[in-house]
Amino acid sequence: MRPYELSLTAAAAAIRAGELSPVELVDSVLERVERLEPHLNAYATVTAEQARHAARKAADDIAAGRSRGPLHGIPMGLKDLIDVAGVATTASSRVRADHRAQADSTVAARLGAAGAVLVGKTHTHEFAYGLTTPQTRNAWDPGRVAGGSSGGSAVAVAAGAATFALGTDTGGSIRVPAALNGVVGLKPTYGLVPRHGVTSLSWSLDHVGPLTRTVEDQALVLTALAGHDPRDPASLDAPAGDYRPGADEDLTGLRVGVPRNYYFEHVDPEVEAAVRRAADRLQALGARLVEVEIPMTRYIQATQWGLMVPEATAYHERTLRAVPELYQVDVRTLLEAGELMPAGDYLRAQRSRTLMRQEWARVLADVDVIAAPTVPATAAKADQETITWPDGTVETVSDAYVRFSAPANLTGVPSLSVPVGHDTAGLPIGMQLLGRPLGENVLLRVGHAYERSQPSRALAPAV
Amino acid sequence: MSAAELTPPEAARWAARAGLPLPPERHAVAAATANHIHSVVAILRELDFGDTPPAPAYRAREERHDAAV
Repeated sequence: MRPYELSLTAAAAAIRAGELSPVELVDSVLERVERLEPHLNAYATVTAEQARHAARKAADDIAAGRSRGPLHGIPMGLKDLIDVAGVATTASSRVRADHRAQADSTVAARLGAAGAVLVGKTHTHEFAYGLTTPQTRNAWDPGRVAGGSSGGSAVAVAAGAATFALGTDTGGSIRVPAALNGVVGLKPTYGLVPRHGVTSLSWSLDHVGPLTRTVEDQALVLTALAGHDPRDPASLDAPAGDYRPGADEDLTGLRVGVPRNYYFEHVDPEVEAAVRRAADRLQALGARLVEVEIPMTRYIQATQWGLMVPEATAYHERTLRAVPELYQVDVRTLLEAGELMPAGDYLRAQRSRTLMRQEWARVLADVDVIAAPTVPATAAKADQETITWPDGTVETVSDAYVRFSAPANLTGVPSLSVPVGHDTAGLPIGMQLLGRPLGENVLLRVGHAYERSQPSRALAPAV
Repeated sequence: MSAAELTPPEAARWAARAGLPLPPERHAVAAATANHIHSVVAILRELDFGDTPPAPAYRAREERHDAAV
């Protein structure tokens, strides 16, 4: 196995055992980046020189007995909304063409302190305001969308062009591309991972989280990221934890909610079948499947839009007036239309979210996790704008991709997307596990148990 | 078109009132997009919120901004 093919957990173990040097690993990933970038365009910026330098330093430190833990010497990609001192945070936008970050974001600083090596900044749908990341290609089929908005991060991890990456998630932007590219994506509990130094799409819905090849890898990254930072007003004062799941596959006593409504409506039959098979697998591991009713489903999209649209417009107030022509037309249109939303609509969405959080807490009092599809369909063709369901309903690709993800953004509950197979076209399918606030340990335990019971997954073919 | 929908000139006027002068070629697309968004969020008017407060990102206690990583 070549170094770029290793999971984070496997690479960290090989480095610890002295079987692999961070220099070999980073060189291997950089060669992969160089070979794949003309086809995938996952990166907005590649920091090859700094990465090689950091890898040599990591190798020296580890050899001298100064290991900083499992992320030391591991190559990563950061979504290009995340500030790294001295590097542009372009948000994949011409608006930010001359940008240069003055300081590290909290997450970049924490990963840097843990010894992770930045390979580059990954592409996002412009300012995270979209679900496809049109400039980047799907790692499994270049004619398909990468998903978004953290498309570059998901594609880089899927293809071996980063050992792990970070994304952001406002309505599904970590989980959607994770599902569409066959990698693991976590949207943590709202406030668990600080957002200081991360470009916002919508303050009250934004989250930062990891994209990895395995669930075990997620735990290693989350352990480095989680923890209070008062510079993010939503940051929780939760005690720092170690999220690494145990080796135990036994899920006896665990209650897994399977939605009887919403999550299996307007879903591709192959996606539904794969997710139901995965839920059955959890049952075979000892879990009890319990039917649950998802509350207030009629109001999910309305609440999501009622919050996101005016918050995004507020963030872009100055640049929308100064340089509107520099935005892509889809983003500019949404930002302009956001100026026309009355405050009453925004407040109704805020109050609806209060009700939704209360209702979800009731559902999650009866089950430990909820298992559902991450997205209702696999990766759409690059030029496809809508999905037509068998009952004649037509839905835009973006609306379809947000539909199942948004509840976790609105309620703040953690959601982990795990690959659960492929459709007949060979495209990956994702299942999301939703848990109680700060229930990341449970999600990672369930996801890890599922993963261990499955044959290991190969990297995406990528080209 | 319902009475609640904005015409392109109305969208331009609302945008100007919000401090965003829209060039003429943007009036129609801004109106259409705003009307679509309105049709989605207007559903929230069905809900009886009673005393339900909003749920913004908010902390009552100011904290010192000197966090360590």
